[in-house]
Amino acid sequence: MTTDYAIEAASLEKIYRSRFRGREIKAVSNLTLRVPAGVKFGLLGANGAGKTTFVKMLLAAVNATSGSAALFGRDSRDPEARRPVGYLPENHRFPTYLTGFSMLDFYAALSGLESRERKRRIPELLDLVGLHGWSDVRIKKYSKGMLQRLGLAQALIHRPKLLILDEPTDGVDPVGRRHIREVLNGLMGTGVTIFINSHLLGEVESFCDYVAILKKGELALEGKIALLLAKRGYRVVTSTVPERVLDEIRSEGASVEPVDRGFEISVVSRDEANSTIDKIRAAGGFIESVSASTNSLEDVFIRTTEPEMAA
Amino acid sequence: MRAVPEISLPKVVLALISDTFQEARARWLFWGLFGLSTLLIAIFLFVLRIDLVQGAVSFMGIESTSRPLNDIQRFVNVSYAWVSIVLYIWGTFLAIFASAGLIPSVLEAGRISLLLSKPLTRTTLLMGRYLGNILIVALNHSYLICSIWLILGIKTRIWEPRFLLAVPISVFIFAVLLCVVVLIGVVFESAALSVMVSVALMLISTILAQRQIVIRLLDSEWSRQLWLTFYWIVPKVFDLGAAMRQIVEYDRQANWLTPVWSSAVFGIIVLSGAIYIFQKRDF
Repeated sequence: MTTDYAIEAASLEKIYRSRFRGREIKAVSNLTLRVPAGVKFGLLGANGAGKTTFVKMLLAAVNATSGSAALFGRDSRDPEARRPVGYLPENHRFPTYLTGFSMLDFYAALSGLESRERKRRIPELLDLVGLHGWSDVRIKKYSKGMLQRLGLAQALIHRPKLLILDEPTDGVDPVGRRHIREVLNGLMGTGVTIFINSHLLGEVESFCDYVAILKKGELALEGKIALLLAKRGYRVVTSTVPERVLDEIRSEGASVEPVDRGFEISVVSRDEANSTIDKIRAAGGFIESVSASTNSLEDVFIRTTEPEMAA
Repeated sequence: MRAVPEISLPKVVLALISDTFQEARARWLFWGLFGLSTLLIAIFLFVLRIDLVQGAVSFMGIESTSRPLNDIQRFVNVSYAWVSIVLYIWGTFLAIFASAGLIPSVLEAGRISLLLSKPLTRTTLLMGRYLGNILIVALNHSYLICSIWLILGIKTRIWEPRFLLAVPISVFIFAVLLCVVVLIGVVFESAALSVMVSVALMLISTILAQRQIVIRLLDSEWSRQLWLTFYWIVPKVFDLGAAMRQIVEYDRQANWLTPVWSSAVFGIIVLSGAIYIFQKRDF
């Protein structure tokens, strides 16, 4: 079966019902999402937005109340659909009685890797995630960052076509984060689809091509990061402008903020920027700088999830 | 990029069984089980070293013996039968205690979600764990019962192969009770509750098995029917032990078929229920 999408969710819904009171909680509601194969996709949302529930429905750890999900065109409830998937769960609990080597060996065996291939792959992977020399140490001795890297090695061991990482750098120190990023960057150009579920906006912004934002279990926004962060307006920094000119600029809808030795004027369009510059020059003012202003992913996220706060 | 590997079901089950062994070893359950079995073997070795057999033979010579024992062979068979009962009870209790934690541990959040992300069915996952438990106990029971059979054989020079039936019978009843452990583990994720319910079933089975006496004491028909219904539902731990004793004693009245099939039906229904609930649960 061939498909252009690594993940396809159609009207996916999960309602949790409390056992005794019959109260319903919608964790995910009518979620339709397509993740093209080969991209780096970030799923964002505040705590409790339904990100982990969505991922668990993709992996059939949580049964959907309605709707459907497919991995590379195959119903995600079919175990075969999970064959090309590598997964690093949030708050994982790897069996602490295993060593790094035996832990990778166990999960690789469950993923179908032959014994000979496992023996070859495990040292490779331990080396890749910087755990060379720790293979015979029980994982209860590993730090949080080491566990996370070991988890990543586990997710990669069978050469998956789709890598699902749930909060991959949560609780990891900056050095560990960089290491994880480097490993993920090493997958670029291999055709592996990387799906990151995170609340770390900077991480997603710097790494992913596509993003979706969940709000209270619903898909609030989806698109290419480059387009979402596209130019939003222009900033003109000026000095020695008469007050009457600033008033005139303000009256046309531009925002004027005092900055060091002058003012920063923000306008939406290129025409407005040119008109503002003309006015300042005509009044004998000086232009210090002109720049295009862009959105940060944080701006987009706040505007999407908390519009009141953004206003 | 290389193709993602094909999955072989026997290899996956083998990996799950091997993981169960590793966990049992790391939690000291494996060593505890074998240590206590070794202790029992040592006790038998010591007791027989003080010439219990010789004493018993002398005892048989006393004419006032209340039990009609025809010869040494008969006496040894009866002894073998009672020893097999002791091992059956000892082994089953120990096995339940040792295995109760091995099901809930695999359902811990963060562990189960990763296991479920692998290309295996939930049934395979649960059955792999179930079989792993049974293999650990089968290994222990074989070690315990075969060792004691050897000790008894060497000491008495009477080799009674029927004594070895205690291995499959003990493993069978453990497999039935393990179904209860699995069900409780899947529903409540509680090792302590699994032990409580399994041990309670063993005791209840002993009480219910006294139906010939109790039915005569009950005065209403519905209460007699209720007693019999419970008797047929609950796995027949007591009856199977009694049947095993009779078989080892060469008693032709031994009824082993009924306790086997009714306990097996109980186990299959309970295990199917556990698998069904496991399929439906969210993790």
